[in-house]
Amino acid sequence: MFVEFVRGLATTFKQIFEEPVTAPYPEVKRPVAARFKGRHELKRYDNGLEKCIGCALCAAACPADAIFVEAAENTDAVRFSPGERYASTYEINMLRCIFCGYCADACPTEAIVLESNYELSFTNRDSSIYTKDMLIVPVLPGGEPTPQKAPPGKFGRAIPDMKDPE
Amino acid sequence: MPADETAAGLPMGSQPATPPPAAPEPAPVKYERLLLRHRDIPDLHRLEVYRQHGGYQAFKQVVTTLTPKQVIDEVRASGLRGRGGAGFPTGVKWSFLTKDSYPRYLVANSDESEPGTFKDREILERNPHQFLEGVMIAAYAAEAHLAYNYMRGEFWDIALRLDAVLDELRQAGLLGQNLFGTSYSLDIHNHLGAGAYICGEESALLESLEGKLGQPRLKPPFPADKGLYQKPTVVNNTETLTNVPMIMARGAAWYKTIGTEKSPGPKIFCLSGHVKRPGNYELPLGTTFRHLIYDLGGGVPSGKPVKAILTAGASSTVLASSDELLDTPMDYESVAARGGALGSASIIVLDESVDLAWLTLKTSRFFKHESCGKCTPCREGTYWMLNILERVNKGNADKADVDLLQTVALQIQGKCLCPLGEFSVTPVLSGLQKFRADFDGHTRDGKGAPAKPSAARPAGTAARPAARKAEPTPAGD
Amino acid sequence: MADNVTLTIDGARVTVPKGTLIVDAAKRLGNDIPVFCYHPKLQPVGMCRMCLVEVGRVQRDRASGQVIVDENGQPRVVMAPKLETACTTPVEEGMVVIGASGRVKEARDDILEFLLTSHPLDCPVCDKGGECPLQNLTIAHGPGQSRFIFEEKFRLAKQLPLGELIYLDRERCIQCARCIRFQNDIVDDRVLSFYERGRHLEIITCSEPGFDSKFSGNTTDICPVGALTTTDFRFEARPWEMNMAASICPHCPVGCNLTLNTRREARSGGQMVIKRVMPRQNEQVNEIWVCDKGRFGHHYASSSDRLTRPLVRRDGKLLEAAWEEALELAAGQLKAAGAGLAGLAGGRLSNEDLYNFRQVVTGLGGSAALNTRMGGAEQTQQVGVGLGTNFAEMGPGTAILVVASDLEEEAPIWWLRVKQAAERGATLIVANGRPTKTDRAARYVIRYAYGQEVATVLGMLVTGSSEAAEALARAENSVILFGREGLDFAGSTALAQACANLLIATNHYGRPNNGLVGVWPDANTQGAWDMGLPARGQAVLPVGATASWIVAADPVGDGEISAEALRAAGFVVVQELFLTPTAQAADVVLPAASWVEREGTFTNGERRVQRFYPAITMKGRPDFQIAAEIGARAGLSVSSHAAQIMLAIAENVPAYAGLTYQKLTEVVKQWPEVGGRDLYYGGASYTNRQGLGVQVPSAAERGADITAGKLAAPPPPARNGLTLVPVTVLYDRSTTFVRSQVMHPYVPRPYVELNTADAARLDIQDGDTVTVEAAGVRVTLTARVDGRAPEGVALMPADLGPAVPAVAGPATIQKG
Repeated sequence: MFVEFVRGLATTFKQIFEEPVTAPYPEVKRPVAARFKGRHELKRYDNGLEKCIGCALCAAACPADAIFVEAAENTDAVRFSPGERYASTYEINMLRCIFCGYCADACPTEAIVLESNYELSFTNRDSSIYTKDMLIVPVLPGGEPTPQKAPPGKFGRAIPDMKDPE
Repeated sequence: MPADETAAGLPMGSQPATPPPAAPEPAPVKYERLLLRHRDIPDLHRLEVYRQHGGYQAFKQVVTTLTPKQVIDEVRASGLRGRGGAGFPTGVKWSFLTKDSYPRYLVANSDESEPGTFKDREILERNPHQFLEGVMIAAYAAEAHLAYNYMRGEFWDIALRLDAVLDELRQAGLLGQNLFGTSYSLDIHNHLGAGAYICGEESALLESLEGKLGQPRLKPPFPADKGLYQKPTVVNNTETLTNVPMIMARGAAWYKTIGTEKSPGPKIFCLSGHVKRPGNYELPLGTTFRHLIYDLGGGVPSGKPVKAILTAGASSTVLASSDELLDTPMDYESVAARGGALGSASIIVLDESVDLAWLTLKTSRFFKHESCGKCTPCREGTYWMLNILERVNKGNADKADVDLLQTVALQIQGKCLCPLGEFSVTPVLSGLQKFRADFDGHTRDGKGAPAKPSAARPAGTAARPAARKAEPTPAGD
Repeated sequence: MADNVTLTIDGARVTVPKGTLIVDAAKRLGNDIPVFCYHPKLQPVGMCRMCLVEVGRVQRDRASGQVIVDENGQPRVVMAPKLETACTTPVEEGMVVIGASGRVKEARDDILEFLLTSHPLDCPVCDKGGECPLQNLTIAHGPGQSRFIFEEKFRLAKQLPLGELIYLDRERCIQCARCIRFQNDIVDDRVLSFYERGRHLEIITCSEPGFDSKFSGNTTDICPVGALTTTDFRFEARPWEMNMAASICPHCPVGCNLTLNTRREARSGGQMVIKRVMPRQNEQVNEIWVCDKGRFGHHYASSSDRLTRPLVRRDGKLLEAAWEEALELAAGQLKAAGAGLAGLAGGRLSNEDLYNFRQVVTGLGGSAALNTRMGGAEQTQQVGVGLGTNFAEMGPGTAILVVASDLEEEAPIWWLRVKQAAERGATLIVANGRPTKTDRAARYVIRYAYGQEVATVLGMLVTGSSEAAEALARAENSVILFGREGLDFAGSTALAQACANLLIATNHYGRPNNGLVGVWPDANTQGAWDMGLPARGQAVLPVGATASWIVAADPVGDGEISAEALRAAGFVVVQELFLTPTAQAADVVLPAASWVEREGTFTNGERRVQRFYPAITMKGRPDFQIAAEIGARAGLSVSSHAAQIMLAIAENVPAYAGLTYQKLTEVVKQWPEVGGRDLYYGGASYTNRQGLGVQVPSAAERGADITAGKLAAPPPPARNGLTLVPVTVLYDRSTTFVRSQVMHPYVPRPYVELNTADAARLDIQDGDTVTVEAAGVRVTLTARVDGRAPEGVALMPADLGPAVPAVAGPATIQKG
C-alpha cells in the first residue's frame, strides 16, 4: 500500500524537473511540422510575377466553397502573371476553410500553398475574408512588384514551364 | 516532287526543269515502243507528223462508228489497268459512271508528283498528241463534252505548249462542235495546280480544279458518281490515257498479247537511284527487275550490291533486295506478292551505301510537307514521325524512340482519309521491318549496329550518274 | 416500313430511317461514338477520324443481289478489313457495328494522342475548360500520358482576334472545320477559311472587317476545343461556376430560346450578373443557334444607368421618391383622368405586363394601345401559321414568300431557317423594293417600287400572273412572312390583309406549315395584340387625353411626339428601364425590372408562347406588378403574380385558352440531342429542360369563319424626286441594344444609302456628309453610294441616331 503511494508520488515529483510543455505564447511561438497546413499564401516567381493564373481550380476543388476567384487578361504592358490570364480577384473565406489543402493539390502552377501561419483571428465575418493582397507573398529581392511591364511575347505561354514537385 | 528528292539527294524544292535525258540503251529494242513512240519517230509532237503516223484515226473511227458503250467494252476487254498507281481496270472504271446523269467530265491526271516518277512529263512534252487522242476517246466513252488536263503547277511550260497544241487541234477540227459531222462535241482545257502532291489524289485534284483548297473528298461518293462539280467524272492518269488510242487502233486482242495475263500492256518504268543509266524505259509489264536494273540501267555504278528497291516512289514499300526479288516480274500481282506495290513504277534503286534511317527521314519530311492537314492521323502523325526521325538521325534518340516511331507509324496506318497518310508510313514500316539496324545504329544505346552514327548523306551519292543542269525552279512550294 | 433500316450496334438492335449515319443511329441507343468534326447540323466530312468503328455488312450474291445466308439461316455478315468512320457511313439493313472492341478503343486512343500532340494543354486558363469535348473525350477514351516531347510541340499564334467578337487560339485548334462549315453551309457567310496545309493548316478570316457575320458566336458553341472564344466572355468565369436560367431573347419576333449563365461579380459589388448568353435548344424555334444580337445584346439589363428608384417631378425636376409615394401619386392622377387616360405600351413587354396594363387602364375607363408602326396582327390571329409549323420541316412542296422585309436584319434566325428550307428545295420568293441577302437563296425575286407592296401581293392573286404566283398557289404548303419596309401602319395593315387574302384564296391556312407570319419590330408585338392592345396607328395619344401612362415605349425619343405635346396632354406616368426622353418628360417615372430579372412570357411571330425566368437580382419592379399596384391603389383588383395572370389570360383570351405556366414548361426529347453529357456531339448549347413553349391556335384553327378582307390596291404614290425609306438594321442604337459596348464596332454611324445615279445627279460621293430633310426633320449624316438602293430611293436605317421619319416619304438630300 505504502509502496504504491510512494511510487505514485515519485511520478508526480519527477515532473518538477522536466521541461514544461507549455510555451509563453505569443512571446514564444512553437515551430510547426513541415507538413502543417496553416493559412494559405499565393506565391510569386523569383522575378515577382504571380504564380496564380486565375484558373479557379482551387475553388472547384474546395469542399467548403471557401474560395472565390475572378480572372482577367494580362497584357504585356500590365502583366501580373505569365500567360494570358491572372486572378483579378482572389478571396478565401477563412471561416469556411477547413484547411484540407485540396486547393494546393488542384493548383496547376503551385501558386497556392498552405503555409505555417495559424494566427487567424477576426472579430467579424467580413474580416474573415482574406483578399488577394493579404494572401500574396511579398516580392523577393531582385523581383519586381506586379503589375509589371514585360517585353512582348516573353511570357506569352499560358502555363509556364515548371519543375515537377519533388 | 519527282525522283530527285530521295534518289539523287537534291535539296527539297529544286527540280530539274526537264526530265533526265533518255540514256543510250545498249541492246536494240526488243519490241515496238507504244507510249514513247517519239523516241523512234522524230518530231512526233507535231500534229502533221503524228497524223502521218496514223494519228487521230482511232478517234475519228471511234466517234463515227462506235457507241460509247462499245468503246468501254473494248477497253475493258483489253485489260488496261490504271497507270497512276492503283492499277484499277480502266474500262471497269468507265462503266461505273452514274447512268443518266449529265453533264459528265473527263479529267486527265497529269499531276505527276510522286517522287521518282517522270513518265507523264515525257509523254506530255514529246508525245502530246497520243495522250490527247486518248483523252478524246475516253471523253467520248464517258459521254463527256468537256475534258480537263490537270497538271502540276511546275508544268507551266508544258501547259503553254499544250495550250498551243489544243488551239491547233481546234483549228484542225479535231476539237469543237459536231466533230467529223456527228453530234459529238468536245473541248479540252489545261489546268495548272499549285504544286501540291495531294492534288494527284483524284478527289483532291477535283477540289483543286474547282478552285478550292486541295483536300481530298470523302469517298464514297466516288468521282464516277459525284466528281467535278458533283457530276459523274472519269479521272485517269496520263499514261493510262496514252494507251487508249493504241487499243482502239489495233484492238484489245492485240493489246492483250503484250505483258502478262492479268497486267497486260506496256508500262513506262522510271528508273532512278543507284543505276548507271537512269531514265524512262518502256517495257511490257512482267519484265524482271534484273533486266531493267542491270541489262537496261547498266547496274549499280559503285559496283556494290543492291540493298533495296523502291517501286512506287516515296510511298512505296522498301523491298529488300535479293535474287528472288531481282527475278520478280514487274507486274501488279507479282510485286504485290512480294509485299510491295508496283504503283506508278518509279523504280528507285538503293545500293548498300544507303542508310534507311536517312531515307525514311527524307520520305517523312516529304509527306509531312505534303500532308494536306485534313485528317488527324496524317497531319499530326507525319509531323511526329519526322520529329522522331530527325532525332534519330541526329543521334539524339534511344532505341525506345525507334520503337515509338514504329508505334506512331502503326497508329497512322489504316486510319487516314486518303492514301497519302497511308503511304507516309509504308517506307517507315517496311524500312524498320527489314533494316531496323540502320535505325538502331544511330541511337545512343544501339551498340554494335552496322550503320554510321550520323549520316547527313550516305556515301556514294556524289558518284551518282546523270549530272543534271540545275535550272531555276519555275514554281515550287 | 420500307424506309427504315434495322442494324446492330454493339449488340443492341436499333431501327432508324434509311440514310441515317451510324453515329446518329448509335446516339439513339445512347451509345456515344466519340466525334470531333461531326456535328448533327453539319454535313459530315470524316476529317478527325475519331469515330472509327468496325463495320460489318450483310454479304450479297453479286449476280442475283440475294442475301447470302449462313448455315444457321442468318444473313452472313462480313466485317470490313479497315475501320470506318461512323460519322460518314450510312446505315444498311443488317449492318453490324462494333464500337466496343479493343481495336476501336485503340484507334480512339491513337487519334486522341495525335490531337494532343499539338494541343497546348492549357486547360486551366482556357474558357472552354470544363465544357470541352476534347477534355471529355480525352478522359473517356484518351491515353493516360503523352509520349510526345513537350518541346517538340508546334507553336502557333494564341490570342488572335478574328473579329471584334471572336478570339482564335491557333494552338488549341484541331482543324475540324466545324466553324468554316457552319459559316459556309449554314449561314452562307463565307468569312472563314483554311490557310496553308499539313500541320500548318490554320483558320483565317477572309472578310473585311474580320469575321463579318451576324452568327459568329455560334462557332464558339460548336468549336469542340477552346480555339474560338468570345470577347464578351473571355476569362469571365469557368463554366461550372455559373448558374443558369432559361430565357427568351427579347430582341426580335423569332423568340430564340436562351440560357443565361450568371455569376456574382466582384466589380459589380458582388451582384449577380449575366456572364454569357447561350442558345437553348428548341428545334421548332431556333434549333441550337442564336444570332450575335441575342448573344451579346443583353448588357442593357446590367447597365449602370438603369433606373432603380422611382422619380417624381417636384418644382419641375425629377427627384427620387419612395415607391409608395410615387405609386400613390400615379394611381391618384390616373384614376382622376378616367376616360381621358391614354395608356401606351411597347412591344418588348411580356404578355403578363400587357394584360395587366390593359386591365388597369380599361378598368380606370381609359384606353390602352400598343406603340407600334406595324399593323397586321388581326390577320396573323386569323390565318397565322398553323399549329406545329416548323421551318425545319419545310422543303420540296413548300413555298415561302418574304415580302417587304430584310429578313436577315429583322429576324436573323428566321432568315437562316428560311434559307435552309430553300436549300432543301422549298420555293423561296422574295419581294422587296431593293436587294436583300434573302435574294441569294430565292428562286424568284420580285422587285417592286416602294409603295407598290400591296399591289404586288394583290397581283399574285391573279391566276397565272407570274411564275412566282403560280408556285405559291400550287405549292402544297405556303407561308408568307410580311414586314414593314417602306410602309406606315396603314400600309403594313393593308399588306397583311393582301397576304392573308392570298393565303385564303389559295387555301394555305389553318394547317401546319401554312399561313402568315409577321416580321414584327419587337419580341412581343404579336402578344400585345393578343392581349387586346390595338395600335393607334400614327397618333401617339388619342384626342382628348388628359393623362398618359407610357410603359416601355419612347415616343418622344422616336420623334413621334414632342415632349411639350406630351406634357400638354396632362399628367404623364412612365414605366421604363432608363431615363429616356419620354421619361424625362414624365411627372412620375417608375423603374421597371428588365426581362432577365423577372418571370414572364413572350408570344413570338409564329404565335408560340414561351416562358422566361428570373436570372439576376431585380432592380425596379416587374411591369405587371407595377400595374397591379397602381390598380390596387385605384381600387382595381388584378393579380401581381405572373402565373396567376397567365391563368387570367387563359380565361379571357380565347386563343390562349388552357395555357398555364406548367404547360409552358413541358419538354419533349429533341433530336439531335445536344448539351448535357452530350457536349461533344452538338456543341455547348443547352438542352431544353425549361419548356418548349406552346403555340396558340389561329382563329382558323379554332373554327372561325375565315373570309378574305376587302382591300383595294392603294394608288401608286406620286413620286417626285427622292423617296426616303426607313430600313431596319440589326445592330442599331435602340435603348435595349446600344448599351452592349461589345457590339459598338458593328453599329454603323448614321448613314443614308443612295443609288449611284441619284448620287451623281446630286454630286454626292460615297462617304460625303449630306443633309437629309424629310417631313420637316433635318439630319446630317454620311452618304453611302453603293448602288444597292433603287433609283429614286434613299434608304436610311432607323434607330441609328438621328430620328428619321417613321414612314417612307419625299425627302431632299443635299451635300454638306
